Amino acid sequence: MRERAVRIGKPTALFGVITEPDKLDAEKPMVLIFNSGVMHHIGTCRLSVKLARSLADIGLGSIRFDFSSIGDSEARRGGLSFEQSAPIEAAEVMDYLQSKRGVSQFILFGLCSGADAAYTTALVDKRVVGIAQIDAYCYRTKKYYWNYYKGKIFDPLKWFNFVKRKFGERFSPSNSDENDTEEYFEVASYVREFPPQETVAQGLQQLLDRQVAMNVIFTGGEVHYNYPNQYRESFQGQVDFADLLALHYYQESGHIITQPHCQKNVIKELTQWMDGVAKIKQAST
Amino acid sequence: MNPFFFGPSEHQLYGVYHPAVAARPKKQGVLLCYPFGQEYMRAHRAFRQIAMLLAKKGFHVLRFDYRGTGDSSCDMEDVKADDWLADIDIAIEELKDMAGVEEIALIGLRLGGLLAATVSTRRQDVSSLVVWDSINSGKEYENELRDEISNRNEVVDLDQDNFIDADGVIHFNGFPLTPYFLVGLGSLDLLKNMPAAEKILQVVSNENNRFEQLKSAWSKLDAYEYDHAESPGDWNYVDDYGGVLLPQPVIKSIVDWL
Repeated sequence: MRERAVRIGKPTALFGVITEPDKLDAEKPMVLIFNSGVMHHIGTCRLSVKLARSLADIGLGSIRFDFSSIGDSEARRGGLSFEQSAPIEAAEVMDYLQSKRGVSQFILFGLCSGADAAYTTALVDKRVVGIAQIDAYCYRTKKYYWNYYKGKIFDPLKWFNFVKRKFGERFSPSNSDENDTEEYFEVASYVREFPPQETVAQGLQQLLDRQVAMNVIFTGGEVHYNYPNQYRESFQGQVDFADLLALHYYQESGHIITQPHCQKNVIKELTQWMDGVAKIKQAST
Repeated sequence: MNPFFFGPSEHQLYGVYHPAVAARPKKQGVLLCYPFGQEYMRAHRAFRQIAMLLAKKGFHVLRFDYRGTGDSSCDMEDVKADDWLADIDIAIEELKDMAGVEEIALIGLRLGGLLAATVSTRRQDVSSLVVWDSINSGKEYENELRDEISNRNEVVDLDQDNFIDADGVIHFNGFPLTPYFLVGLGSLDLLKNMPAAEKILQVVSNENNRFEQLKSAWSKLDAYEYDHAESPGDWNYVDDYGGVLLPQPVIKSIVDWL
């Protein structure tokens, strides 16, 4: 395995690290690993580093990099929003890998805002043959609401907390501590808003029509999601996933996957899935 | 700003070098020593900012990841505390070679403060030392984590990601510290082991007993200075968006002092 730090693009470079096996097969896709929120390119709890090395062990190359104004990459001029700039910068990284490594197919991976960027990039760039997303755009179903309210209605503690909260709102002073410390924090400038469900349904169908493979993982930290098959059901009748979707629900995991066993499971799942996609796409070329 | 890998091939370290951009570069290089775990994630942006500001002032700056952390090689399960002290030594030599400087300033935050100050006691070329919200000793750090775990509120901490496993590994906010690592860390103690740098700054973002203990122990040293640059914020707080801390009063204090 080799790792190399790279700067991509001028005048304001994007910073990243390429991890690749000793002998890279250019007919296999390379993996682009995106930032999650404002976390720099090592990923939550080093998830991106561990995934990259796990992929190199099975013969796949990857790059983990910082979008402009995140991590080590500087802000770029132009005033584009993250939704606009992310696909452009991802394309720049793919151009770089295509020219330096001769790779022409790519799998994109991201968590949260990174998942959103994987989807929007795949829509506009036909070199993308697979996307893996953790806590992607999702939409509530009737079963979601049933699960949600069922848990509250029959739980006395929830009622107790509800009443306490209501009284608290009336009688407690507002907590000003958090506001006082805002100037010392930096949070993602990207405000996550899910597009209308119909728009995403159309987008997903476009990708599936192009045979883009999908691996979608939801964690228990995603508040809009509460049962294993919700993703499929939320697009029922609109999207034909055929056999191109792998869907997982890690209910015990938090959004940024801090539990060690969940980290291991996610890395194992993604490595195996990307290996499978790479073999299929390699055969098709 | 140049990212690169350096050090022995069996355990390569990842660093980002910020060459001096001033007309007259200083003769002192600056090495930044990160804290550990989620604190490292939350400090990354602040360290980058310090590095860039110091480079503008004429310092050659290197920030790097200890082995088992960030982009550097290895996993935490294979690392001992002495390895991190050795990594700081390797990074100092790399910085001296790259920048052509003979003198080094070390800046360490939290656990990085403990490590930087420890390294400074055994080298002649560390002329300045900044410890920021420093941990006083390895034992203190371990106890801090153990206290957090035993006081964990199970209602709030739904993820249950802070625990000690059957092998004695402390899992804290998604990062492991093995008994193997903690044994070595436990031998480090800034209250007993005084730094010998020509200039020493202890900068704190708030005031508490632990910072006061260090102040009291080090104030006997002629080189010692203390600055309280009030900046609220919890290094160990974890949010879902990876929000980072940018404590500007502390950053300004350090950059101005150097």
